Formats: sequence, C-alpha cells, structure tokens
Amino acid sequence: MKLRAKAYTKMIFQLVRRLHTSPVCRAAESSLLAKLRKKTGYTIANCKKALEMHNNDSDKAEAWLNEQAQAMGWAKATKLAGRTALQGLVAVKFDKGHGALVELNCETDFVAKNDKFHKMMEDATLAAFKFAHTHLQAKGPITKMELDSEQLGNLQAEGGKKLSETLALFIGTVGENAVLRRAECWKANQNEVKITAYTHPAPATPGDYSAGKYGALLAYKQPNDLQDFGRQLCQHIVGCAPVKIGDKEKDKPAKNSDDETCLIFQEYLLDPSYTVEEVMEQNKLEIIDYVRFSCGEAVESNMPGVEKQPLDTVQTLQ
Amino acid sequence: MASISFVKSLVNPALKLVLKQSHCSHIRNTTLLPGLTPLSIVLQRHYAEKQVFERTKPHCNVGTIGHVDHGKTTLTAAITKVLSDLNLAQKKGYADIDNAPEEKARGITINVAHVEYQTEQRHYGHTDCPGHADYIKNMITGTAQMDGAILVVAATDGVMPQTREHLVLAKQIGIEHVVVFINKVDAADQEMVELVEMEIRELMSEMGYDGDKIPVIKGSALCALEGKSPEIGADAITKLLQEVDTFIPTPVRELDKPFLMPVESVHSIPGRGTVITGRLYRGVLKKGTECEIVGHGKVMKTTVTGVEMFHKTLEEAQAGDQLGALVRSIKREQIRRGMVMAKPGTTKAHDNLEAAVYILSKEEGGRAKPFTSYIQLQMFSMTWDCASQVTIPDKEMIMPGEDATLHLRLLKPMVCMTGQRFTLRLGDITLGTGVITKINNNLSEEERLKLLEGKKAREKAAAKK
Repeated sequence: MKLRAKAYTKMIFQLVRRLHTSPVCRAAESSLLAKLRKKTGYTIANCKKALEMHNNDSDKAEAWLNEQAQAMGWAKATKLAGRTALQGLVAVKFDKGHGALVELNCETDFVAKNDKFHKMMEDATLAAFKFAHTHLQAKGPITKMELDSEQLGNLQAEGGKKLSETLALFIGTVGENAVLRRAECWKANQNEVKITAYTHPAPATPGDYSAGKYGALLAYKQPNDLQDFGRQLCQHIVGCAPVKIGDKEKDKPAKNSDDETCLIFQEYLLDPSYTVEEVMEQNKLEIIDYVRFSCGEAVESNMPGVEKQPLDTVQTLQ
Repeated sequence: MASISFVKSLVNPALKLVLKQSHCSHIRNTTLLPGLTPLSIVLQRHYAEKQVFERTKPHCNVGTIGHVDHGKTTLTAAITKVLSDLNLAQKKGYADIDNAPEEKARGITINVAHVEYQTEQRHYGHTDCPGHADYIKNMITGTAQMDGAILVVAATDGVMPQTREHLVLAKQIGIEHVVVFINKVDAADQEMVELVEMEIRELMSEMGYDGDKIPVIKGSALCALEGKSPEIGADAITKLLQEVDTFIPTPVRELDKPFLMPVESVHSIPGRGTVITGRLYRGVLKKGTECEIVGHGKVMKTTVTGVEMFHKTLEEAQAGDQLGALVRSIKREQIRRGMVMAKPGTTKAHDNLEAAVYILSKEEGGRAKPFTSYIQLQMFSMTWDCASQVTIPDKEMIMPGEDATLHLRLLKPMVCMTGQRFTLRLGDITLGTGVITKINNNLSEEERLKLLEGKKAREKAAAKK
C-alpha cells in the first residue's frame, strides 16, 4: 500500500515536473543554438563557440563551422591517433575483371553499425576500386596491389577529396579513432580470369558491393558453359580461412581434417562429404589466387597510424 | 593449482555475489559447463577468510552505456565514491574499473567490469560494457544481465551518431528502463544542457521509449570524484541513484514464480510409491500441491504427497533445493528423465523455437569451422536433450565467435519457455550456448518428417517449386 502511494506521488511529481520543464525546452528549441546544432550536427560546444564568435549570426557561424570542420577533424584525429581501433568492417567491390578489398577500423562496434561509418566504408572501397581500374599495369594473369594505411589515405574519393580528409571529418563527428587499415586491389589481365568476392555476413541480395566482419577476393578460371562456382568457393575461403592453396605434390593433408590449412585438402563447407579439390574438379575450376581479411586481425603495432597533418594550421577547440 | 590461484585473483565481492546468487536461486539450466564447478568449490574454501555477503536488500543489476569519452567509467567511480562516504560501497578508482581483468567464467571470455554498491533501498551489481557484440554475448550466456541502464551523455558533445546504436542495443537485450545522466555540465552552460536534454528525449521517443517520462539528471562525475562543487557533483550523483532506485523496478525473484522442477531421476520405493528427484528450478514446493508432469510427448496430472531432502521430510522446498518429491498414483515407468514437474498449466512442450545463440570460438572450446543451415545439433536444456535441425534465417553461415538468431526444430516436443538457456553440441564439441527468445506453433506431422530428409531431398523439393 505504502509502495503504491509512493508510486503515485512519484507520478504526480513527474507530471508536475514535466509541465514545468516543457516550456523551457520549447524555448531552447527555438534558440539559435538548437537550430544550428540540428542543421549542422557539430558538437554543441563547437556550435556555441561559432555563435559567440560571429555575434549570433547563424549563417556566418555555419559557414565558419563548415570551414573549420576539416581542421577540427584533423585535430581530433591527431588527438585520438594512438588509441586502439580493432573493430570495424571489411568491404569488397568487384566486377568481372577487377576487385577491391578494404578494411576500415574503429574503436567500438557501436560506431561500426552507424550509417556514417557505412558511408565512409563505401567511399573508401569505391576509391580503391577505381584505383584498381586506373592505376594497375598488366603483367601475368592478374595484377595485385597491396595498399597500407598511408597509401589508402592518399587515394582520391569522389569529389576529389583525399580519403584521409574524409576520414578526419568522420573522426570529428563520432569522436572515436578510426583507421583506414589496409586494402588489396586486383586486376585480371586475361579474359578467362574472373574475379569474385564475398563478405560475411553476406547481404540478402548478392551485389557487387558488400561489407562485413570477414571478406575475401578470389581470382579463378572456369569455362563459361558451367554454372559459376566462384562465389561458393569464396564463401568457403571466408568461412574456413585456409592459409594457402596447397600443392598436391608437395603438401600433405593434415591428420585431423579440422586442422587442415591447405585449401585443396579442406572439407568443403557447404557439403563436408567432398574436399575442396573434388568440388573444384567437378566444376572444372582453377584457382589463381585468393586473399582473405578478417576484421581486426592485423597487429596494431606493425601498422602505421593515421596520417599526421601539420598542426600549426589547425585551430583546436577541444 | 593454476586454476586455484587464477580464481583467487579473481574473487572480488561482485563475482562472489554473482556466483552465490546462481547457487541460491537457480536460474540456470542444469547442464552447466564443467568450468563452474571448480570455481564454486574454491570459493567455499575461502569463505572463512572472506567477508560474507549478507542478503538484506533486494538485488538489481544496472549498467552504464554511452560513448567512450563521455565518462562512463568516471561516473561509476563517482558513484562508488559518493556511496563509500555513506559506507555503502567500497571506493573504486578509475583504473580499477577501466582495467578490469578479462574475467573467464563458464569457459567463455567475457570482457566486462563488475562493481558492487548499495543504496538505502537496494543492492546493485554494476556492469560496464565496451561493445555491442560483447554485451550480446553476455546476455546470451547469462553472465551479466541488466535490469536497467544508465545512459551517459556529455553536455559538451550532445547526442552522438552512435548514441542511437547504444539504444538499439538496450532495446535488443530487453532493457525497458533507462535513466539518463548528462555528464560534464561543469564544462557547459544552461542553454547547452537544456538542448542536450531535449535531444535525448527526442531520440528516446524515436527509439520507442517514453522520452517525456525518462528521468534525466544533470551533473559532473568528475566534480563528484574530486569532491568539488557538490550541487553538480555529489548531489547529482545522489539524485541519480534515487532515480535509479525508483525508476528501475526490482526484478521478480525466482522464488515468487510458479514452481518448476526438471526430472533428474525416478525411483520406486516399496510401500511408498514413486519418488521424483531433481533440483527445484524456481518457485516453492509444498506437500499436497497439485502438479503436472510434462515432456516426451506426455502430460500427466498428479499431486505431490511428500517432499524430502536428504531423507528428511520438508515442509516447503525453495528454488535451488535438491529434493525428492513423492507423487500419487503414477508408476515409475511413466516418468522419464527430461520431463518437467510444474504447476499445472504453466508449462508446455514445444518443438519450434527461435533463439539467440552465441557460437563459441575455437579458443573457447568450440569448432574452428563455421556452419550453415540444416546442420543437425543436439540441444541440451534442463535435464533433457534432443536432436534439433538448425536453420539460419538472416545469414548464409555462422562463424565461430559470433552471435546469431537461429531457428531450432526439435525432433520431438520438449518443455521450453522463453528465457530458458540451453547448449548446442555436435558430437563431443560444445558448439554454442543460447537462450530461447520466441516459441512458434508446433510442427505439423509433415514438417516433422521433413526434418529427417537429407540434402538431396531438400534440393529436389526446392527444384520442384
């Protein structure tokens, strides 16, 4: 009984408080600060500062914020550069003759689920994909190019901006460290060589772009009259993480099939009664090469951090 | 010996509390991983040296969620400081909480910090969790549960893009009561704080919470920790704890639920009748109670004519007691291990389930390979086990170390409830552990036959369509 009375008192209290606070909230909503924050999405402290600097002229304040965003992003990125970032995504984009595999890291997986992060990921992958089209020279059946954090940052995203600049802006918005970790760009130089890719978790409708925790690129040859088998094999590579393709003459199958690291001797994921080699023979598929990324597997200390920007041009706000 | 010293280093009051709780109020199923047993034995050995936990107040689990730089850890430290001044908690430094050791319980790596404290009303276990996947894993394995959460937002930054994701997590793990703490008000002014409050209420409403009614407390955890400006420091923390006390309801204890006992074994005692033994899973069992025995496709009604523990009669058995129950006019042959004795009408057998499952990584004792739909796994829960066909609704495969939603179809109906925990095994490997989230309509006879079909038959049927 006493408890119930207490609950009622509380409800009444909350109701009264609500009546009390709501006009204040409404007042705030109409304020310049609220408008500016809603419009630009920059942190409240920065919006406030912008307004103060421009005598509450919201147009000028907005212009200043946009101008400063890049610098603030760099400042934040530099400040956070040392923090461990091992969460994130691996994304692929491919067509018949080209492929790009990119890893982008952040600190918490909350951020990795955010739309802004997905946008950043897509921009980076598209840039690497474009790079595969324009910059790779023909030699051998496929040309492979490995990009590290710095090279990846220097790529141009759409709109002519450098990826590292876009990343700094992103860091400024989410306030968490993020690293363009690595990328792999592939180009097939012969007509019969095909490239395919897979990420896990796979999207509901298979397309030429996808992102997940694991990803792989695969280059293979297969006669055109057979049903395409590359994607399934690529799924197997993502799932079973083989260390190398393996050579029938030189390598021997492991005693325990669960410890097998050679691709050709592994049990085929989608039908364990066959080995991968048998499935490949059935489908007349020949593997040329593959590469697999697992998000966060790269050792942080061996990796260069984000690209440093000269700090004297940067106006730090935080 | 290695495990003993490991445990020694680990036994902080909070963990002890968690373990003791799991002793008393058996919420877990009986197919515990073997890892727990040595832990509890060692704990008891140290009882003499350790402070004894007294159960005088209701217990409640809360946790902090929020952006990495918004002061979750500082707030936790501030709470312990403010309460330690009232002698209600042990003061914890920032470093104690932030660098909490990776606790290994039940053979699964869990990356959370545990802190305990109490207010005048309740006793709290406080969790701080670094990531979404980590928390989902904890929820599924049952290691750390939250009855309510404190969302921390810094007044200087306001709502961040990922705050939405934090609330998605809270929704996903079933937290219905969130208290908001606006931190760092010492670095902001009135207008900014109001704006942040408005933004949070708006976002909470959008996420399906009652944004207008959610308590929002403004303060500075740092001030409280350093003992400066009490009106935004210590007082704000006190106010926050008051709101947590009132806004987050005390969870229903296992004792207050209708009784349920999984059957472990059945004996026939000449001259007395049939005795069912097992551990009372929840509720209270008295002599003369009507009960229902369900499972293995049967339902039987009877009455408990006697309750015994260690060969002594018992007035009333409570959840967690290992007991024998004498039942009227039922033969030993009619009852089998895996059935469940419960209050009539409270349990049913089901065979079509949805569950949230965590698949163990290789290091945790699982398999190195992923699995795909239509794998046949043995499902263990309470005292029963049953073959089940697993399908994955939203992914093509599940990697080790991942959590996922699975559809499970059992070969025969077994007693299942939402919230019931189970393990999935393949041969001699424990593949994963999970919790039932939804119970679907039972399978038809035709569907049941389909479970036994091989891959070829399925492909054939698919081609026909």
